[in-house]
Amino acid sequence: MSYVANAILLLVTLGLVLLSGVSLKYIFFGLKPALPLIIVLAILQLLFYGDAFTPHGMASRTYFRWGWIHITNGSVQLVIVSAARFVELLFLTSLLTNTTTLTDITHGIEDMLKPFSRFGVPANELALVGTISLRFVPLLGEQLETIMKAQASRGANVAHKSKLEFVSRARQVAAFIVPLFVDAFRRGEDLILAMQARCYVGGRGRSSFVRLRFQRMDYLAYGVGLVFSVLMLGLQSYFPF
Amino acid sequence: MSEAPFIQINDLHHVYLRDTPLEITALKGVDMEIHMGESVGIIGRTGSGKSTVVQHFNGLIRPREPGKVLVDGEDMSDPKIDIKRVRQRVGLVFQSPQQQLFEKLVGDDIAYGPKRLGMVQADRRERVKWAMEMVGLDFERFKDRFTFSLSGGEMRKTALAGVLALRPEVLILDESTTGVDPRGRKELMARLLALHKEHGLTLVFVSPNMEEVAELVERVYVMDDGRVVMSGTTREVFSQPEELFQHGLNVPQVTQVAHDLRARGIGVERVPVTVDEGVEEIWKILSSCETSPLVSTYQATR
Repeated sequence: MSYVANAILLLVTLGLVLLSGVSLKYIFFGLKPALPLIIVLAILQLLFYGDAFTPHGMASRTYFRWGWIHITNGSVQLVIVSAARFVELLFLTSLLTNTTTLTDITHGIEDMLKPFSRFGVPANELALVGTISLRFVPLLGEQLETIMKAQASRGANVAHKSKLEFVSRARQVAAFIVPLFVDAFRRGEDLILAMQARCYVGGRGRSSFVRLRFQRMDYLAYGVGLVFSVLMLGLQSYFPF
Repeated sequence: MSEAPFIQINDLHHVYLRDTPLEITALKGVDMEIHMGESVGIIGRTGSGKSTVVQHFNGLIRPREPGKVLVDGEDMSDPKIDIKRVRQRVGLVFQSPQQQLFEKLVGDDIAYGPKRLGMVQADRRERVKWAMEMVGLDFERFKDRFTFSLSGGEMRKTALAGVLALRPEVLILDESTTGVDPRGRKELMARLLALHKEHGLTLVFVSPNMEEVAELVERVYVMDDGRVVMSGTTREVFSQPEELFQHGLNVPQVTQVAHDLRARGIGVERVPVTVDEGVEEIWKILSSCETSPLVSTYQATR
C-alpha cells in the first residue's frame, strides 16, 4: 500500500471513466450513498488501527496519543488508501452497470458459469434468478412511487411525523407497504403463469437468441487488464498497490 | 367563460430523471386551463405526457421554471402552500386504482382520506356512506367486506369512493376505467356524469378511449410528444380525423361513420360524437329520402 500506487490506480479508473463516455458527474453522484460508510470506516481506522500497521518504506511515527486512541502515520495512510480503494471500486462497478445492459451481464454470467454445470452448478437457473430479481427492483420502485402518489392524493402525509408517534407512523407506512406487497405477489404469480404457459424449462439444450462472441475490443480490454495486473504484481517491491 | 380558470397551466416543462443518462423529456411547454364546473378530456397516445400533466394538477409534481401551475390562484411552485388542502380539492384517481387499497375493510379504506383530514367519526361515516352511494356500492352490504375479497370492478369502485370521500371540487380520472367490464364502465360513466351535472363536480378525464371521452366531456385537449397539439370542443376536435390520425389517435366509431358517409356524398349536417347523436343523424338522412324501404320499417319501430 502506498500513496503513489493508489494515485496511479485512481488515475487509471478515471481514465477508464473518461474513455467510456459516461458522464463524470453521474459517476461521482454514485459515490454519494457510499459516503457515510466511507466516513465511518475512516474514523474507525483512524482511532483503532494505530499500532497494527506500519506504512511502507517509512518509519513508524506517532502523531497523537490519548488513552487508547493512537494515531500514527500508518493509520493515516490506511485511512487515505482505504478511502481511495473504495472510490476506485465504486467507480469500476458503476462503470460496469452504466455501460452494460442487465441482459448482457446475465448472459455473461450464464456463459461463465456454464463450465461448472458439469459439477451440478445450475448455471441457467442462477442466471435466471439473477435476472428476475434485478428486473423486479425497478418495477417495484415504480410501483411504490405510484402507490405513494395515489395515497398522497388521498391525503396521506408523506412528510415526516414526530419520531414518538410510533403507532401513527406505522399505520402510515402500512398504506404504502400493504399495496406494494399485494402487487409483488400478484406479479410473481403472473410471471409463474406466463412461464408455465410458454412451457419454460431452463437449462440444458436451450439455445439462446443472444450469443456473446469475443470481438477485437474485448480481446484488447482483456489484454490491457492482464498486462496491468501483471505490472501491479511485478512492481510491488517499488510501490505496493 | 370569463372568470379566472380554476387550474391554469402555462409553459409547463417536465423532465423525468433529470441530469441522469436516462433523462426523458415528458413535457415541452404545455398550456391548459380548467374552469370550475366543466368537463375536460385529455387524450393522446401513450407517452404523450397526459399523466405527467395531470399529476401537476394536485401538486404531486411541482412545476419548475419557466412553467407555472396555478390552482385557484395559488402558485404550486411555492413549497409553503397547504398541499393537503389542494389535494383535497383536486382529487386524482390513478390507473388501476385497486392498487391503493390497504385497509382490511372496505369502509375503513374509504374513510382513510377523511380521517387524514381530521374528521370526527360520525362525519366520516356520513362521507363514506355518501361516497359509496355515488359509486354504486351498497353501504350496508359492502362496508364490512374484506377489501381483498372484492372483485376487480368492486375494488375500483372502492378506490374511486376513497377519493370521492374527500369531496373534491375537481375529479381527475387518469385512465381509471381501463380494465372495467363494459357494463361496469357504462354504469360508472353515468354516475360520473350525474356527479358532474347535479353536484357541479369538475371532471378531467384522461383516456385513450375516444368513445368514452366523447360521451363524458365538453372540451378536449389532444396531446402528442409533450405538447398540446389540438384543443377545442369535443365536436370541433373530432371533426378533424386526419389531424387526429397524425397524432396516433382515432375518432369515435360513430364519428368515423359520419365522415365516411360524407366522403360518399351523403350530407351529414352535424358531425355526431356520441352514439345517440349518430342515431339521430342517420334517422334524419333516412327520412329525407322517402323512397327508401328502410324508412317505413324504421318508422314502424320508433
